[in-house]
Amino acid sequence: MRDRIEDIRALGAELVIVGNGAPSFAEAFREDQNLDCPLLVDPELRAYRAAGLRRGRVEVLSPRMSLNAVRALGAGYRQTSVEGDPWQLGGVFVIRPGGDLMYRYIGREAGDHPAVDDVLEALSADAEPIDEGEGNPWAQVLLGQALSRVVDPFIVSSFDRTGFRIHSLTFRPDDIEVDLSGHRCLVTGANSGIGFETALALADLGAEVVLLCRSAERGEQAAERVREQTGNTRVSVEVVDMSDLGSVRAAGERLASHPVDVLVHNAGVLPDERIETADGLELTFATHVAGPFLLTRLLQSQLEKSDDGRVVFVSSGGMYTRRLNNEDPNWTEREYDGVAAYAETKRAQVVLAKLFAEKLRGTGCGVFAMHPGWADTPAVESSLPRFHRITRNILRTPAEGADTVVWLAACPRLRGESGGFYFDREERRTHLLPLTRESDKDRRKLWKLCVEATESSSGDRLRTAG
Amino acid sequence: MRTSTRLAGVEISNWKGEPDSLSRYWSEQPIVLVFIRHFG
Repeated sequence: MRDRIEDIRALGAELVIVGNGAPSFAEAFREDQNLDCPLLVDPELRAYRAAGLRRGRVEVLSPRMSLNAVRALGAGYRQTSVEGDPWQLGGVFVIRPGGDLMYRYIGREAGDHPAVDDVLEALSADAEPIDEGEGNPWAQVLLGQALSRVVDPFIVSSFDRTGFRIHSLTFRPDDIEVDLSGHRCLVTGANSGIGFETALALADLGAEVVLLCRSAERGEQAAERVREQTGNTRVSVEVVDMSDLGSVRAAGERLASHPVDVLVHNAGVLPDERIETADGLELTFATHVAGPFLLTRLLQSQLEKSDDGRVVFVSSGGMYTRRLNNEDPNWTEREYDGVAAYAETKRAQVVLAKLFAEKLRGTGCGVFAMHPGWADTPAVESSLPRFHRITRNILRTPAEGADTVVWLAACPRLRGESGGFYFDREERRTHLLPLTRESDKDRRKLWKLCVEATESSSGDRLRTAG
Repeated sequence: MRTSTRLAGVEISNWKGEPDSLSRYWSEQPIVLVFIRHFG
């Protein structure tokens, strides 16, 4: 491709190269290859994953690799040291202003390259963009279903990137080919990770999007990125700390003065040690349970008025390991365990979604919970560094983690549905272990706890709620 | 979601290690975006 750069430029385009090594390797590569085109580096492979490029030993060490290597040698190429991820494969895309994809080539094995003339043809004036909403053939759906049955019993192969790619074979692309113009969507924790990708996708679908963030600065930076990437200017920020009931109350009252069609509870924390909020609540419980409970109640009347309202709780697969705990949600009776506190509150979110679904039955507003699988987000990297180090090459992208959130918020086929728990666009059971099941009485008690926690400024009442 | 929207959201650096954005390269002209396997 580098050898045909002048042909590319003659067609009014530019060659942009992305490599997966460190910047120091890129500098040497640039000098060695005498490049005068943009050269970018992606050592974390985020762009590679976002582009859907393959990675794996089987793909690299294929029988054709030897033949491709001989061809490369014959053409004068010499392999020096491997600087970057040796198992990552490449690809070629042609993108024009406005973001239309004109050409796509996904490398299948080492030494795999597209025909340059095909790439140049995609740059011609009469080239047609690729329809990225093309439907899945029935054979692909059947394959996806069969593979899902193989991987789903195993958490690693289901929750990770492989699981998403297998499950996505069964997705209906037109499910979120919708126009959300006139819809107003609120997303908490939206300045990064899954929350950001959710806000981005909803704005891309034409919705007015409000990013609810603790930091005005980070929120505005994220909002600006959403506006730039989507061209949608109806993107704003509301500063709110979901762990601070006063902040939630103030924000809720402001937000309730306008229509609300979608409310996504994504904000999350995973502290190492017990932190008590000004309201006397344990931080994880405040952020994941009390704050979202209060905000949903404050916006309930607007959600009920919506033609097709949606509330989505972004839970976690970790909730499968814990039972609902109403006895000590504040962690005052036990030695604090941040991971356990996180999982218990994520379990509580799933129960809350069901309870709100019951409360809002007949109003036209659907309430859902979901879990995103294992996604590579800044929150995972900072809160679970060891887990992130071990799994980062198999983690989903934040966009893949957000996919089911966006689907629950936007898919017209879900109109009238409510109360389900979802993973990769399929409704799933909420218990894998018998000991995690809660009774109906337990669920009612959670509701009562939330009412009292949000009506009281002290956490003391949590201990006496019966 | 379109490929370009997914790519536009990725944090990436230029060869000097400075933060960059893929979307700015196709904002005014088409690009041929090549992902290479590795340097070397």
